[in-house]
Amino acid sequence: MAPKAKDAVAKPKRKRASDSEKPVKRRRSLSHEDESPGDKILLMEQGILESKKNYNNIPILLQTMESYKDGSEESVLAAVALCRVFMRLLAQGAFVSKKGLSEKDSVVLAWLKDQLNLYKTTLLAILASEEELSGTALTLSMRLLKAEGEFLYDREEYTFPTNFLQNIIVALLQTDNDEVRGTFMQEYAEGYDDIRFYTFKSIKSAIESSVDVVSEAEVFDHALSMLSALDGVPESAEELEDFYVPAPKKKNHNLRSVTQHKRQGQEAWLALTGIAKSKEQRKSILNIMSTVIAPWFTKPELLADFLTHSYDTGGSMSLLALSGVFYLIQERNLDYPSFYHKLYSLLDRSILHSKHRSRFFRLLDTFLGSTHLPAALVASFIKRLSRLSLNAPPSAVVFVIPWIYNQLRRHPTCTLMIHRENKDPSIKKLIQNNGVEDPFLPDETDPMETGAIDSSLWEIEQLQSHYHPNVATIAKIISDQFTKQSYNMEDFLDHSYATLLEAEMTKNVRKAPVVEFHIPKRVFLPQDEPTANPDSLLVKLWSFQ
Amino acid sequence: MAGSQLKRLKATLKEQGIVGPQQSKKQKRKAAQDDRARSEKRLQRGVVLEGIREQFNPFDLKHAKTPKFEVTTNRPVTAASRIKGRPGAAKAASEERRRQTLLVDMQRRHKVGGILDRRFGENDPTMAPEEKMLERFAREKLKTHKKTSMFDLEDDDDAFPGEGLTHGGKALTFDEMDAMDDYEEDDIDDSASDVSEREMQRLKRVRAMAAEGDMDQDDQPERKKSKKEVMEEVIAKSKMHKYERQAAKEVDEELRAELDKELHGIQHLLTQSSKRQTEEKPQPSAIAGVERSVFDKDFDLQVKKLAQDKRAKPSDRTKTEEEKAEDESNRLKELEEKRQKRMRGESVSDSDGEDEDEEMGSDGSQAGDDSEDDFGLGRGINAKPTAAELGFDDEDDFIIDDDLVASGSDIDSDEELDLGSDMDAEEDESEEEEEEDEFTKGLLNEEESRNPVFSIDSTTKSADVEKGDENGLPYTFPCPQSLEEFQSVTASYPGTSLPTIVQRIRALYHPKLDSKNKERLGKFAAALVAFISSPWDPETSPPFSVLESLIRHIHSLAKSFPLEIAQEFRTQIEEISNERPLAIQPGDLILLTAVGTIFPTSDHFHQVVTPAMLVIARYLGQKVPQDLADHAIGSYLSILTLQYQKLAKRYVPEVLNFALNTLCALAPTSPSAGVGSFPRHDSPASLRAKGASQVSVRKLGFSDCLHSDSSPVELKVAILHTVSQISDAAADTWSSKGAFIETFGQVLEVIKHLNAKACRSHLPSELRDRTEKLQVKLERMMNLSGLSRRPLELHHHKPLAIKTYVPKFEETFDPDKHYDPDRERAELAKLKKEHKRERKGAMRELRKDANFMARENLRIKKAKDEAYEKKYKRLVAEIQSEEGREANAYEREKAARKRSRNR
Repeated sequence: MAPKAKDAVAKPKRKRASDSEKPVKRRRSLSHEDESPGDKILLMEQGILESKKNYNNIPILLQTMESYKDGSEESVLAAVALCRVFMRLLAQGAFVSKKGLSEKDSVVLAWLKDQLNLYKTTLLAILASEEELSGTALTLSMRLLKAEGEFLYDREEYTFPTNFLQNIIVALLQTDNDEVRGTFMQEYAEGYDDIRFYTFKSIKSAIESSVDVVSEAEVFDHALSMLSALDGVPESAEELEDFYVPAPKKKNHNLRSVTQHKRQGQEAWLALTGIAKSKEQRKSILNIMSTVIAPWFTKPELLADFLTHSYDTGGSMSLLALSGVFYLIQERNLDYPSFYHKLYSLLDRSILHSKHRSRFFRLLDTFLGSTHLPAALVASFIKRLSRLSLNAPPSAVVFVIPWIYNQLRRHPTCTLMIHRENKDPSIKKLIQNNGVEDPFLPDETDPMETGAIDSSLWEIEQLQSHYHPNVATIAKIISDQFTKQSYNMEDFLDHSYATLLEAEMTKNVRKAPVVEFHIPKRVFLPQDEPTANPDSLLVKLWSFQ
Repeated sequence: MAGSQLKRLKATLKEQGIVGPQQSKKQKRKAAQDDRARSEKRLQRGVVLEGIREQFNPFDLKHAKTPKFEVTTNRPVTAASRIKGRPGAAKAASEERRRQTLLVDMQRRHKVGGILDRRFGENDPTMAPEEKMLERFAREKLKTHKKTSMFDLEDDDDAFPGEGLTHGGKALTFDEMDAMDDYEEDDIDDSASDVSEREMQRLKRVRAMAAEGDMDQDDQPERKKSKKEVMEEVIAKSKMHKYERQAAKEVDEELRAELDKELHGIQHLLTQSSKRQTEEKPQPSAIAGVERSVFDKDFDLQVKKLAQDKRAKPSDRTKTEEEKAEDESNRLKELEEKRQKRMRGESVSDSDGEDEDEEMGSDGSQAGDDSEDDFGLGRGINAKPTAAELGFDDEDDFIIDDDLVASGSDIDSDEELDLGSDMDAEEDESEEEEEEDEFTKGLLNEEESRNPVFSIDSTTKSADVEKGDENGLPYTFPCPQSLEEFQSVTASYPGTSLPTIVQRIRALYHPKLDSKNKERLGKFAAALVAFISSPWDPETSPPFSVLESLIRHIHSLAKSFPLEIAQEFRTQIEEISNERPLAIQPGDLILLTAVGTIFPTSDHFHQVVTPAMLVIARYLGQKVPQDLADHAIGSYLSILTLQYQKLAKRYVPEVLNFALNTLCALAPTSPSAGVGSFPRHDSPASLRAKGASQVSVRKLGFSDCLHSDSSPVELKVAILHTVSQISDAAADTWSSKGAFIETFGQVLEVIKHLNAKACRSHLPSELRDRTEKLQVKLERMMNLSGLSRRPLELHHHKPLAIKTYVPKFEETFDPDKHYDPDRERAELAKLKKEHKRERKGAMRELRKDANFMARENLRIKKAKDEAYEKKYKRLVAEIQSEEGREANAYEREKAARKRSRNR
């Protein structure tokens, strides 16, 4: 632990060092390249710092800076110079209102504050709109933020420039520049605990304040990308030691507590789930639910609404929400009365063709893993799946059958579905004469009422003559003696046409393949003597000019 | 027995007669004189004493434990078997062994180096220096003359004159009979002439020696011979006997030789009278100009050969028509059985396969005949002897060519003409005789003519190529080794001439003609496969009649090059699956069709068919058709799949999924969402066949598979029609499946939708008829299937026995034996036991060694102590005596002084 912590401490230090170097370099190079504007700005900066009289240069610099839209380089220089000026002033305590200030001084102070705010808004405007300058703007605003946090108010009390950060976040949410967002998240939000803390807070309020639908979608995307980058959940209070703004001295400050951090994350995510309206948005949230989002939640129950709502939607959304719901049921005693009911309804025509089927079946295997489930319910699942596998690709059949095998092993009562002897002679005779009607009700939604337990798995029997040799062989395990305890489902999941084909093609042909001994007289054209040699189906149904 | 040990001993000794009453002097003398009796008696005495000793020392022997109770065993209990060991003797032996080894080691311990003085007499103080020297000299001499070989008689004599052959205790001297001292020499060197003389001498000597020996024995008193002497005597005797035998044999030989020499003369005398007659006869030694003996030998050989020759058997007679038909049917039956086996996925045993191959290979020509029968064309081929001689035993050539000619289409007649002219050009053979057999004649003649063509290949080839036949097709082509080459070769000729070109190439490069041709043709076959799968274009691609004959050429080539062709097919399939799994081209369709005809599609697993099937299923299952061409391609693949499964009737879910999706997508109105349980694709509404009531129904063609922007109603109807036919065929194929109702219930629902009012009005009447018929048919089939449906009873297995661990009962149980069924474990146990025993033995030995060492040490210490004590005592005594003397002297002195003082 110790060296790690040290590293964490050392890192920001280095960063700061490099930060401080940068402007110096820039200044030097600028002064070399074009001396007149650079010198001018430098002189002004010098003047402002030397005497209060030169404060009037600030608006001039601001004006220069505002010309960023024209793309002049001076605006950058001005911004940098102003940043230095304000930082120096902040450090000097020029912004601290002391008692007994003269009226004149207080006017100056108010004026200065106005100027600072003006500077900030300009910076944020650059951040939000300009592509090229936004990186610089971000750096400048963050440095200013730091200075503000340190010097804006009395040193006794801990204050974080929340407003300023929130403005920065809003600007970041608005911009289309993913790079800046990335840099912010990487260099500040992930590195510093306090920034992260307040970022969560700011994002939450930013999301809540966004009004119209169009911007909401945009905000959602940006917020999601920002939030999903924050996956380092603090484990203990000791980990919370990287602070951008000098840390609060009080031990019981919110910034010092893990639960508070988590709560911020939780609330930000909750806010985000609140505005997830479209299917795509919900899916993207559900996709990272277990890996990124869940760790922030001290009360996962708060997600229940979102999850159950998603689960009820049906389709692939339900599949994605399934694991979350299951977690809540298992760990948090979520009462989901018709869970199996719903699960049963998920087994629809597209489930075996869905690309999430492996994921779903891993879960399904877990849900139905208990031996205490009622046999009728399990039978319904088995029957439903075997019915669906009649239209399924081989890659799906390949895992449905071992799964059914495992279920039959777990629920011996269900073996009636593959072996049902009728001893009663009258029933026997009835069957002899009229055959059997399948008692299974495919449209019944309640898995307890489908009557599957009285049915037989003719579908599996049919699949024993599947065209793919391996599938057919696997299907035969159902009619073989049940000597194996269970099949490992992992061996059968994650197949596809491509992998099956690849498996076939990688086998080398060593033995000469059998060749049809009879060479047909006609392949495409109709036979000469249709009576003796009937045409093939192809010739009958297709015309080859 | 009462009495003490001593008393009992005395009694026993007396009993055995070892101690008896005192003998008188006379008796004693008598006993001493009777030497033999005495020694015998002594021996007996020793035995008896030994027995008594044993009897009186019960601890000398270790006895086996006597059973507590009387038991019966099958092993006889003898006294000897009861004795387990002799602890006393064993102890003594081990003690002795230790004394020799361990004790020496002990004494040598902590002593480094040193020289052992082994000089004779060095440690013997009794010998005088002169004696020592003398003895040493003698030994030295002895060493140099040491016998090197046991049978070295010469050295023997010199070194130990006393130990050689003796005669009456005296060494034999051969000085006067120098030549006869070595028998071996005689044997080897003697010439035949003087053998007898020397033999006589030798025999005489031997006899004399024997007589002398007898005499010696007679006149000298009997003296006990030492063992050495006895042995020498024995050796001498055996040697003598050997020589006698040899000598006798030699004499006989001599006699015989003499007789032989004389025989000539005698014979001459005998045959003189009849000589005249025999003279007239030719010398029998030469017969027909051959040396007699050689002739005889030859004759014998011939006779032997004749004897070994097989009896003339009737050769395979020409079979009658019925027999041929029966053979053919048997062959077909066998093939069908093998196919069935493969279909069930059972392995057709390798040997079986080889047999099959061999059969194909060995009696290929016959098979060729048969296969003609198969195709109903075989008559009269037997009359042509050239086929087999030319090595033309590839049945396929017959088949393919026959078929090609027989089909009578345009190209074929062309070809026929070609062949005919071919023949004309190459060889003038009467055509009339073969007129009735016109299918084969051209081919055969070509075959026959091929040899000359080939033999003068290099010279005439260019001319041939230039010449060509009447269609401008040359007779010879280079053998294309790749698709590009094939295309460049065929580029200049019309597409319809392709089969002719292929046939000529096949004929020209027949494997029998050149060893390299096999490889060439293999590559050529692969090129053909690549050719048929090359992109299809309605304008430029060859017509289907040509493709068909190409496929059939590939098929017949596949019989001789299965590996190459299969490999090429697999490469093509792999290309499809890697590059365009969901965008199959019409060219690929032709390839897949070829797979279906060339390889048995009913096999459970097949190296080519299984991947091809997967490619098809992948397209059918995963492709979401976007336009009519996709639907058309899918329809073709569905038909192909059904054709693949014609025999095996394996279930292919993708076909139904595709058919249902197509029906739903093209139906004039969209069916309700709940139809069936197949995955529905979303398809553009523009594909729906609306307002098509007046359109006539046609078959789908390859040009429909090409993507185009327009979507004519006619094509939609055609697809709908074809797909409904596919569903029909699928229902026929899978009618016996267990879940027919579930499977085709969905089809029925969709067909019902097509027959519903909303759709009917848009569709032409022909299609309506078909769908209605299909609906009726499906309903009927489902009813039937429902009637024949039974609950599944898949598990009529014999119940599994619980594994038992009770040991197996052994009929003849032997407790000494191990009955561990686990061989490895048994061996391990054996090894363990042995290890334990060895360990115990080693420990016991070590313990005994330690005891011995302790004992020795104690002995040495005792000896040392004793010596010390003795010395101490001696010294004390010495001192005491000295002191006593001094004391006495002092006393005396004192007394003397006193006395003197007193005086």
